[in-house]
Amino acid sequence: MKLQVIHRTIYAYSKPVSLCHNVAHLSARATAQQTPLHRELEVQPSPRSFATFTDFFGNAAHFFSVEESHQQLSVTAAQTVEVTPHSTVDPGVSPPWEEARTSSSKSLEVHPFTLASTYIKPFAEIAAYALVSFRPGRRMLDAALELTRRIHEEFEYDPNATTISTPVQEVLERRRGVCQDFAHLEISCLRSLGLAARYVSGYLRTLPPPGEPRLVGADATHAWVSVYCPSLGWVDLDPTNNLIPSEGHVLLAHGRDFDDVTPIKGVILGGGEHSVAVSVDVCPVP
Amino acid sequence: MRPAKLNNARAPQPGVISGIQYTCASDGLDEMVDATGSTRAHWLPFVRSLEGMGMEQVNQSWQEARHLIREYGVTYNVYGDPHGTERPWELDPIPLLIPQEQSRGLADALAQRARLLELTLADLYGPQTLLREQILPPELVFANPGFLRPVHGVRPAGGRYLSIYAANLARAPDGTFWCLGDRTQAPSGAGYALKNRIVLSRMLPDVFRELRVERLAHFFQGLRQSLRELSPTNCEEPRVVLLTPGPYNETYFEHAFLARYLGFTLVEGADLTVRDNKVYLKLLEGLQRVDVIFRRLNDDFCDPLELRGDSFLGVPGLVHAVRQGNVAVANALGSGLVEAQALTPYLDALCRHLLSEDLRVPSVPTLWCGNHNSLQMVLSRLDRMLIKPAFGATRMEPIFGDSLTADKLKELETRLRTTPEAFTAQEITPLSTAPVLVDGRLEARPVVLRTFLAARQDSYSLMPGGLTRFSAATLTRTVAMQDGGGSKDTWMLSNEPVGSFSLLPQRAQPIEITRGGGDLPSRVADNLFWLGRHAERTDGLTRLLRGILVRCTERSGLTETPELPALLTALPPSSQLNADTFEDPRTALETRRGVRPEDLLELILNPNRTGSLAFALSTVQQVAGMVRDYLSVDMWRVLAGLGVDRTQASAGPPPQTACEDAPRLLSEGLDFLDTTVESLAAFSGLAAESMTRGAGWRFLDMGRRLERSVHLLSLLEHALGLTRGNEGPLLEAVLEVADSSMTYRRRYLGDLQAAAVLDLLLTDRTNPRSLIFQLLALADDVRNLPSRKDNFEETLALETLAALRLAEMEELAVADKRGRRSNLVALLRNLSSKLPVFSDLITERYLSHLQASRHLGGNRSGGRE
Repeated sequence: MKLQVIHRTIYAYSKPVSLCHNVAHLSARATAQQTPLHRELEVQPSPRSFATFTDFFGNAAHFFSVEESHQQLSVTAAQTVEVTPHSTVDPGVSPPWEEARTSSSKSLEVHPFTLASTYIKPFAEIAAYALVSFRPGRRMLDAALELTRRIHEEFEYDPNATTISTPVQEVLERRRGVCQDFAHLEISCLRSLGLAARYVSGYLRTLPPPGEPRLVGADATHAWVSVYCPSLGWVDLDPTNNLIPSEGHVLLAHGRDFDDVTPIKGVILGGGEHSVAVSVDVCPVP
Repeated sequence: MRPAKLNNARAPQPGVISGIQYTCASDGLDEMVDATGSTRAHWLPFVRSLEGMGMEQVNQSWQEARHLIREYGVTYNVYGDPHGTERPWELDPIPLLIPQEQSRGLADALAQRARLLELTLADLYGPQTLLREQILPPELVFANPGFLRPVHGVRPAGGRYLSIYAANLARAPDGTFWCLGDRTQAPSGAGYALKNRIVLSRMLPDVFRELRVERLAHFFQGLRQSLRELSPTNCEEPRVVLLTPGPYNETYFEHAFLARYLGFTLVEGADLTVRDNKVYLKLLEGLQRVDVIFRRLNDDFCDPLELRGDSFLGVPGLVHAVRQGNVAVANALGSGLVEAQALTPYLDALCRHLLSEDLRVPSVPTLWCGNHNSLQMVLSRLDRMLIKPAFGATRMEPIFGDSLTADKLKELETRLRTTPEAFTAQEITPLSTAPVLVDGRLEARPVVLRTFLAARQDSYSLMPGGLTRFSAATLTRTVAMQDGGGSKDTWMLSNEPVGSFSLLPQRAQPIEITRGGGDLPSRVADNLFWLGRHAERTDGLTRLLRGILVRCTERSGLTETPELPALLTALPPSSQLNADTFEDPRTALETRRGVRPEDLLELILNPNRTGSLAFALSTVQQVAGMVRDYLSVDMWRVLAGLGVDRTQASAGPPPQTACEDAPRLLSEGLDFLDTTVESLAAFSGLAAESMTRGAGWRFLDMGRRLERSVHLLSLLEHALGLTRGNEGPLLEAVLEVADSSMTYRRRYLGDLQAAAVLDLLLTDRTNPRSLIFQLLALADDVRNLPSRKDNFEETLALETLAALRLAEMEELAVADKRGRRSNLVALLRNLSSKLPVFSDLITERYLSHLQASRHLGGNRSGGRE
């Protein structure tokens, strides 16, 4: 199936901005389940410099700077991605989770995702929360799926409860947040046990296939989790919707947490008050 | 303790050398005295010279040298110091001596260590074979906050990571040097080492010559050369800047000093901007391309966009400019990675792997607790270990296991078990001691030597000297300038004659005659402008307060002072006294006694009140601190002396004093105001007489002229906008506050009339306190600024002048039936409205790129914004 994604971000400023530098993670990554076919990134006013490079985690990143005075910056990422259904994973083939812990410290590709990072700091309560599912000897993926379900059931989706910088500890206490919070929470759980987990940023289909419910988080960028499981490799989990992502999810980039793959970050000169408007539209195209 | 025989060639002669006694601890190694109590051979000539001088002479030379240090303004900032952040640099007059046999070996051995770290960086920011082949555990990189992912895979301009490297050395028990730690991102101290050398070689010129001390200049010449060679494009005349975090950094003095010595422009992050992936310096004349950034900013602060986002000390977009190869940063971004103490245990293996050699300067035996076996070893003898953070970025005091109680040891063990990878441990080993002059006597203090190496083609050359630091107390086992130790010069002795090459300007050499003042960064122009404004604003406030205070003291109770309420209303809004007392000026006439002395004193002395004089003075000092490098020593000294005595200020605002105490307090307040007026006058006098009339002075002057105009307009409107019966005393007060009473009296004797006062204060162009004088000066300043096509500022200045010239003093002085001088008020308000426009125009034209950088607001995932 081909999905077309149009992601528009508009910043409006009360005073002119004379200069801005930005780094964006807005291009879908090529994976076993998806093939980017076409992409366009349009920035208005047009940037003085624009460059695409591969970041440390292998994602495509874009650097651009606008050097003319402006009171509005719009960034539109339009792309078409061929997605295929993910092959179903059998939790039965995953090893006991304690084994996953030792094996994940071996490989250089996996190891960095077992460590603390900007938004993921270990703390005692989070390990305790995780251990409820990770009982001794339990199969890795069984436990991870149960953790995903618990987060879905025990936490309320509430865009007003948290901000971009709310620490995981507070999310755990207040039991509410948005998909980014739930992803950080689940990653914290997994890493506190010595398991490897990464943060995935991406999109959901805006309208579900006929007869299926509309997923939460479809009107903005979405975030979920990828956990490393020996013998299976990286397995994606979406705690916001309690499912294993498949062809309804378009993957943009992955990193240790949100900070590594922020869709757009920028530093501006001037600008006064500013507001942001984001719209995301993901729909199947022939 | 063992007493030392200082001169083992001759028996000590009482009377001649009786002043020189030195006792060192018996358990450790001493630099000057060996285990038998004899002076080491390489110290003998030095000791003899000291004896020749006698302690009295040594102490006296030392007093002179200390004076020299204050004169140079050598300082070291201490974070969190409640008594201001600046402290004079502590230098000890006894250098650390290192004989040639030792220094030669050190040069090669440390060069090896620098090359090793360079190769390690190149691998870890490139293919990471050291991790793949398991020479290093991956945590040392991936858990290391010093590993900057955005520059992984980016080859630094010039292909070099380390242009300057520093090693902290101490004596191992066998008397050889071993390394306590490495400094690889922006090592500090080379400039202080140079400054120490300059001071000490002047204090002890004969000894210095006689001992054949190696000179430092070649080292700095080499450093300058290798930094210039990093330039990616402009190889002929590369522009190199020294990037400092700013005046609040602990080693700012050194940044300013090194920049001047090496001939680089000193810049802060806000002075630089990235355009089209290139780095530019913002000068008043416009943007100038920068080729090489010699930075004293830590790695993660260098770019708020791609590195640490919570600080704007750096330059947004710098990482990308580096990625594009358009600018060289030295040391390369990310170099801090190998500063981690956790790397220390692996250096031997790294050296054999990368260089196929043995490591020649060993490290103090160090264990990284992230390794399971190491952790067990550490825990088994925790009470004998020194615990330090594994990674450089962590601010943590080292913990001495032998000084902990059993409970604290248990606590430490838990910490180590919880996050073992965050800690390293070293056996506690005593440092060697060296003689330090304390209260006129020599005492043994533990020392650590920081040595520096500069890149030279494909190797490194050692600074033949270094910064020796000693601790404040005899028993302290750590040595850190932050904790109040001191420093020493380090003399590496030569067996052959040494040349006298110097980078300092020599009198004998002809220098190129130039009239330029160097480049003036826009930020500096801005700060000078505001320094002018704040200094003048404070001057105006002081004079007004003095006018008020005088009327509350000497005449108190004797005669009426009808002018007082008008003066009180002329105070700026933030400095108003208890406002409700004076709601109606007419009733206020009768309530002069409503001014409480304690309120007045509070307004003068309370540094915590916005709008107080003490507050204004500290603002002046703060702004001046930001441009200190552009002020003369005298100007700085005058400003540093400003303000309320700290002891007085810390006692808080005066208590609700009994009435009989008021006269004394008020008279003290008056003294303070007089002193302040004098100091501010001294400052402006020095500015007028000792600053060249470059753009910097123009901005300072514009700030001053603008502010004086504002103050004068406000004073005239509040005092003379309304007539109040007998105006004589008020006119006299206005003249006094505007510093023009003498001229008036000479011209008109005692005949006080509004029109004549207005003429003198508004339109008399010979009076340096008149409004027209300020406007003419402003117009002149504007004409002399670097010009840009059109000149609105000048037009505006001329327009304002015209409005003033057209005014008729007699008409202005006329009041209507209700006592209002509407003509005067209209003119004053018209002029007042033009001044802010003028200020904005200047700012917009010359300083507009000085806006602060900010982050874009986030569009977090899943949030409905």
